[in-house]
Amino acid sequence: MSAPHPQVSSTPWAIDIDHVGKVFTLDNGESLVAVDTVDLKIEKGEFVALLGPSGCGKSTILRLVAALEDPTTGRIAIENRDPLSLSRQHRLGVAFQDHALLPWLSVKNNIALPYKVAGRPVDHERIADLLGLVGLKGFENARPSQLSGGMRQRVSIARALILNPDVLLLDEPFGALDAVTRRHMNVELQRIWGEERITSLLVTHSVEEALFLADRVIVMSGRPGRVVKSIAVPFERPRRPEVQRTAEFHSLADELTLALEPEEAAAS
Amino acid sequence: MSQSAQIRRSSGGFFLTLVSRYWGVLAVLLAWQAWVSISGVNAIVMPHPIDVLLNIVQNPGSYWQNGSQTLLLAAGGLVMGMALGTLIAVVAWTSRVLSGILIPLGLIFSSVPVVALIPVLARLLGYDVRTVLAIVVIISFFPAFVFTSAGLRALPPGSEDLFQVLGASKWRRFVHLVMPSAVPNWMIALRLAAPPAVLSAMVAEFLMGSSGLGYMFRAAATDFDTAQAFGTSVVATAISVLCFTAATLAETRVNQKWK
Repeated sequence: MSAPHPQVSSTPWAIDIDHVGKVFTLDNGESLVAVDTVDLKIEKGEFVALLGPSGCGKSTILRLVAALEDPTTGRIAIENRDPLSLSRQHRLGVAFQDHALLPWLSVKNNIALPYKVAGRPVDHERIADLLGLVGLKGFENARPSQLSGGMRQRVSIARALILNPDVLLLDEPFGALDAVTRRHMNVELQRIWGEERITSLLVTHSVEEALFLADRVIVMSGRPGRVVKSIAVPFERPRRPEVQRTAEFHSLADELTLALEPEEAAAS
Repeated sequence: MSQSAQIRRSSGGFFLTLVSRYWGVLAVLLAWQAWVSISGVNAIVMPHPIDVLLNIVQNPGSYWQNGSQTLLLAAGGLVMGMALGTLIAVVAWTSRVLSGILIPLGLIFSSVPVVALIPVLARLLGYDVRTVLAIVVIISFFPAFVFTSAGLRALPPGSEDLFQVLGASKWRRFVHLVMPSAVPNWMIALRLAAPPAVLSAMVAEFLMGSSGLGYMFRAAATDFDTAQAFGTSVVATAISVLCFTAATLAETRVNQKWK
């Protein structure tokens, strides 16, 4: 560390979301509290899933970590630095819910885009490796419009991984896919992540997805978003799809579902 | 897709396509010939289509020279006008202040009728091809400016967030995202600007030129050489259709790759 950030005190966390709140001002002048004081620490190499109903502010947290929004209160640090400096140094990988592939570029060139944006020489070997990893060998020259939804998301994930990012952010990457493809993609993502072991933050509203992929699941309540529960996932890695059929998986899933739907819990 | 498939067909098939597609044009030609033969109208008022065809075939040098000149002026002016329009759209894109100045200016400039501009420009630039070229540039400029301006803002969904998290500089964002996004709109501008480019070149030649199809038409009309005047119109129409078809083909090709 040649020049440590002067204001930021040193923390051992890879991602430190320190009492962060976000208030949006609407067009009619009213203010909307999207996130209400969320405090979350993520270790290096840890995979954390943010689980919550739609509109609970979980995507807002991800956008705050990606420096796409600024927090209204509190502070976010990634490895003791401002999140913006991470993206400026091209060390951030993000897979969005809408794949955000450029329609005029081939699969290969979409994956190579971060190299070009960073002004680095394109590493064709790395692209070929990642294409193999996400199971898209032979589709190098296809264009996004020729691919299925699942394949587009794989390209998007390969693009997020191409520069070996320090932090990987996944914003419901499989939210638009059908249930079968989604389960299949989760198995793939689990395998891919096992090979790279990047500090990851996944935003999802699927209990099974969160449990299968993450080391820790954080449950958020509806608006305004706040953390209501945090559980450590005990399953060994690499995880096989069969894990999802064990009794332990089901009891954890029930626990998380109850935390997601407190009204139902109170009624029963 | 259907257009490229048609191109690949054999020449016999091509001829059949021609007849099946343009039988309307052939019918009009036949009706025209029948009408002038039966009514016996004076050839100065309405020439026979055969005479028009003969006039073209018998004076290939004159048609070729004037036609190619008009085509070159139209094409050159189109390219320059498109380049200018694109450049100004890009300049306007970089700053809100500049776009506030450039958009109304472009609108006003393009609203002035070409016919009114020609005498002014002719006095400034001279009564020759330079003025013709300038007119075509002015006519082609506006569609390029308007469509490129819109295209520079029509970014694919999610791409702005993507470029921000990739830490793209403004320049790299422009090169890898903004410019390519404008390409489909740019192709629309090219298709829309191509036929008026030919037309405006001819109008300028007609009013002040000393060569080109427009001038040739005026000279023929003044001499009551109706067959030649009609022949000039036929060649001009052919050039215009050719430009439009080429631009449409280019647009289809680009859209296949871009969308």
